[in-house]
Amino acid sequence: MNLSNLIILFIAIPMGTGVIGVLLKQRVQIARVLGVLSFLATSALAVALLIHLRSHPTGILVSQMGAWPAPYGISVVFDSLSGLLVAASSVVALACYIHSFSTVDPVAEKRYFHPMVQLLMFGVNLAFLTGDLFNLFVSFEIMLMASYCLLTFGGSRLQMTQAYKYVLLNLVGSTVFVIGAGLVYGMTGTLNYADLALFVAERQARGEALPPGFTALSISLLLVFGLKGAIFPLWFWLPDTYYTCNVSISGLFAGMLTKVGIYAIARTFPMIFAHGGSDATKVVMPILAISAAFTMFLGVLGAVSHHNIRRILAVHVISQVGYMVFGLALMTQVALAGCLFYMIQHMVVKSCLFLCCGIIERHTGTDDLDRSGGLLKRDGYLAVVFFIAAMSLVGLPPLSGFFGKLVIVREGWETHWWLSIFGLLTGALTLLSMLKIWSYCFWSPSAQAIERTPENLPNTSSLRPAYVGATLLVVVALFLGFGAQPVYEIAFRAGAQLAQPDEYIAAVLGPDALNEVAKYRATQTHLAAGTGAEVTP
Amino acid sequence: MTVILAICVAVTFAVSIYLMTGRELKSIAMGVFLLGHAANLSIIAMSRTPVRHEPQLLKGPPILTASFDPAQPMSQIVDPLPQALILTAIVIGFAVMAFLLSLLVVTSRQAGTLSVEELAMESMEE
Repeated sequence: MNLSNLIILFIAIPMGTGVIGVLLKQRVQIARVLGVLSFLATSALAVALLIHLRSHPTGILVSQMGAWPAPYGISVVFDSLSGLLVAASSVVALACYIHSFSTVDPVAEKRYFHPMVQLLMFGVNLAFLTGDLFNLFVSFEIMLMASYCLLTFGGSRLQMTQAYKYVLLNLVGSTVFVIGAGLVYGMTGTLNYADLALFVAERQARGEALPPGFTALSISLLLVFGLKGAIFPLWFWLPDTYYTCNVSISGLFAGMLTKVGIYAIARTFPMIFAHGGSDATKVVMPILAISAAFTMFLGVLGAVSHHNIRRILAVHVISQVGYMVFGLALMTQVALAGCLFYMIQHMVVKSCLFLCCGIIERHTGTDDLDRSGGLLKRDGYLAVVFFIAAMSLVGLPPLSGFFGKLVIVREGWETHWWLSIFGLLTGALTLLSMLKIWSYCFWSPSAQAIERTPENLPNTSSLRPAYVGATLLVVVALFLGFGAQPVYEIAFRAGAQLAQPDEYIAAVLGPDALNEVAKYRATQTHLAAGTGAEVTP
Repeated sequence: MTVILAICVAVTFAVSIYLMTGRELKSIAMGVFLLGHAANLSIIAMSRTPVRHEPQLLKGPPILTASFDPAQPMSQIVDPLPQALILTAIVIGFAVMAFLLSLLVVTSRQAGTLSVEELAMESMEE
């Protein structure tokens, strides 16, 4: 059986469950069960396909939508990069969804909460799997629409104003994306990633210049993806929006939405816009490097300065994204593999921290550090979970963060040693901010008697789903730490395929696509070898 | 033709940015909608004969322009893909417009005002 046909299930299952969820508006229990089943199915399928990919010759599964041949139709591609991200995001979605059973307001839950989460994952999976630039735009929009609805879930005044800012900023970003996609089509005649990579490879093999304005176009797309990923000058929306919404939703967003932006940069820039020694490389890589430094360092300084758990965690997302941009700025195979591993472990660990924050808020009624305390005695299990997740974030060996940072910092040491130093300093300050939360919430004695008034704890649902969600993520984080070897094998394969896109082009467009490029490259090597006469193959 | 399109796009962008610096959330919303329309117009400027893959490979009826010459059918072909892109962008813009307007209504009910300064002062106080 052709396993490529299963790729569409990642997109169809959440979409179908979302549609059914809209029809099941009032029957919350059935919607919950269906939602959990859908996330379980996508996670299991992703892990199974990843295990299958290890024995696959090229490691890339391609399926064409509607059987239109590439590049006329839209391809969905499950390669190592997409596969790891789909697996991680499905697991994170499962855990945050189970956690939300404890935190979401039961009255408001009937207003399309469950379909919105499913449709969010539909958009995220489509963004990771698609092989076409305009389809990426469509998937961004799906994801954003679902996120707008989830952000305003609850309807408080604060949520409305913060959501408005987020909506406007993303609309401007989408407009720039549309213009960028149109310009890409106008300049190159195609929107398929493999075809674009082939276009760049052909031009470079022939020695011709890329179309004028290609660099400017790549910068404008970097702007859009950077807005989604919240890198340095485009991060101002993140701290304000992530702390106003429901905690489970914050966990879902923090884990996933910024990673989609970083994934888009990782997918398009090494293969297409910054491939080889083009002009774009000389412009884009320094920009990414400087942006990474500022993002890492200023992000963690912001996190240290805040006194609410939610704000600390939200600003932390920014500084950890800085590490991923650091890996992207180097654009070698090893650095891209490190960036991918870091993306995965950050998704899992950051969502776990947000879920723990949700349980802390249920215990203390607030997320202000000054008014929390004494949780170590009250809830030792939560203390263990939080400690493991926090130390994974910081990067203590043998936990997952260590392996991510190790590869990225070591790879950057030769060329960008100053970035590596920033990275290490950021790690130290991350430790400081995590210890701040730890000591205020868990280690210190109870600040005051916590009055369980109805306003304090509006939600009286059972906490067991919350613990299940947090436990699931911490188990995955431990697996990523102790079992980093197999995950890194997949990540290194992904990095190799990004840095040298020939395998990807051959898998999507068919094995004949590279014949022209091979001819030109053969003539180049003959010329370079000094034979003098041009050999026609 | 492209020059006229470029001028239209430029004027629409200018108007939308002027609206986005307005004082009420309504003006800002209108500015963002116009921004989307300007982007759609700019994609129309990309419509020309396909450059990358041979036109003969496009199966199906050619899309006719005003001056169709039966002797040379392939010379007047118009690329259908940008039109598909624009349609998608229009539909997405419409959905976002609906959401943004309902967000405006709920915000005005909750906060009682749509003025940017007053809303900013509220969020600074908290």
